[in-house]
Amino acid sequence: MEGISYQRFPKVKIRELKDDYAKFELRDTDASMANALRRVMISEVPTIAIDLVEIEVNSSVLNDEFIAHRLGLIPLTSERAMSMRFSRDCDACDGDGQCEFCSVEFHLRAKCISDQTLDVTSKDLYSSDHTVVPVDFTDNAGYDSTEPRGIIIVKLRRGQELRLRAIARKGIGKDHAKWSPAATVTFMYEPEIHINEDLMESLTLEEKLSFVESSPTKVFDIDPNTQQVVVVDPEAYTYDDEVLKKAEAMGKPGLVEIYAKEDSFIFTVESTGAIKASQLVLNAIEILKQKLDAVRLSEDTVEADDQFGELGAHMRGG
Amino acid sequence: MNAPDRYERFVVPEGTKKVSYERDTKIINAATFTIEREDHTIGNILRMQLHGDENVLFAGYKLPHPLQYKILVRIHTTSQSSPMQAYNQAINDLDKELDHLKCAFEVEVEKHSRDF
Repeated sequence: MEGISYQRFPKVKIRELKDDYAKFELRDTDASMANALRRVMISEVPTIAIDLVEIEVNSSVLNDEFIAHRLGLIPLTSERAMSMRFSRDCDACDGDGQCEFCSVEFHLRAKCISDQTLDVTSKDLYSSDHTVVPVDFTDNAGYDSTEPRGIIIVKLRRGQELRLRAIARKGIGKDHAKWSPAATVTFMYEPEIHINEDLMESLTLEEKLSFVESSPTKVFDIDPNTQQVVVVDPEAYTYDDEVLKKAEAMGKPGLVEIYAKEDSFIFTVESTGAIKASQLVLNAIEILKQKLDAVRLSEDTVEADDQFGELGAHMRGG
Repeated sequence: MNAPDRYERFVVPEGTKKVSYERDTKIINAATFTIEREDHTIGNILRMQLHGDENVLFAGYKLPHPLQYKILVRIHTTSQSSPMQAYNQAINDLDKELDHLKCAFEVEVEKHSRDF
């Protein structure tokens, strides 16, 4: 039995793309798909983060678990994560996370020997795998980048020391937020704004101005030449209804009509730096596909039902 | 101390089926699918995809309790179809949609990286 296909063919248009930021339009699909992608990006795309810490010496002002927690939150470059194994289903090791398929080892040794306070940063973490290193936030723009900026873990005074071994593992944001590759992922419906030109022309310039001013974000403006109200940036509209209330208050309901196009979305994706924003979206699509595959009915369920179906047909007198 | 392990949220326990299927005892062509360790991500896209199928009379899902990591998807179809057929069709269609989306996105990324 083959049913008819109800497949959709969504369209994508990227507006802006940087390593850690993406803004794109998604069309011809529905909110459930947009939201599923958003949810997967936040909590189910895997990354690598420090998960086990063995402290050898810690005479800093922060206690061991405080430091371990801070280490966990440091984003690590995770291009490898999709092809890595979760340590819980790694066959090569006993799940203690010390094999190359499911873990990466880090070492940190720092001791302050001068009177100057020593900043221990993510730059002091030495990785056993050059593809998995703390994310580098230094601007390549070039203006006076004298000091390499790492993420500060702890500050040491004279004589204080920190020495530890850490194991990073693959994980997902659902397990712990430290594994989430997304800083923020949002989407909004694309607004469609219609101005009733005839009604708008019945307003004085002053009224037009106060109408334009009534929007908390700059959605409308007045054309300096024609003195007409024009939509300058529909996407600045936050669905706050302020302009609609204003039109009502001016005794001109229907002056503007605003709809949310229910099949068009504008996504913004910001990554922590663990993976590129574009890769984050692609990984999310892949993960969602895998999830759908996992919820397919197994053969034995189908067979069991076929037998039941025949029985049911007999009962119905078929 | 007695907190359940975090992985219980997404690892299907041994001896449990990912998806189980139960026919409705009173209504023909109605059934409930119990999907273990899934949430609104899967539930909502399945439901919306099923709503697009004209042989589906009813499709809904629920997450019975936030600490029970499973969802129930209920489907009622016309006699032209069956809940199982509609369910499979919905998954196939979503899968193809995602394939298409992936290609479309890759093309766009390629276009964008060439511009700079």
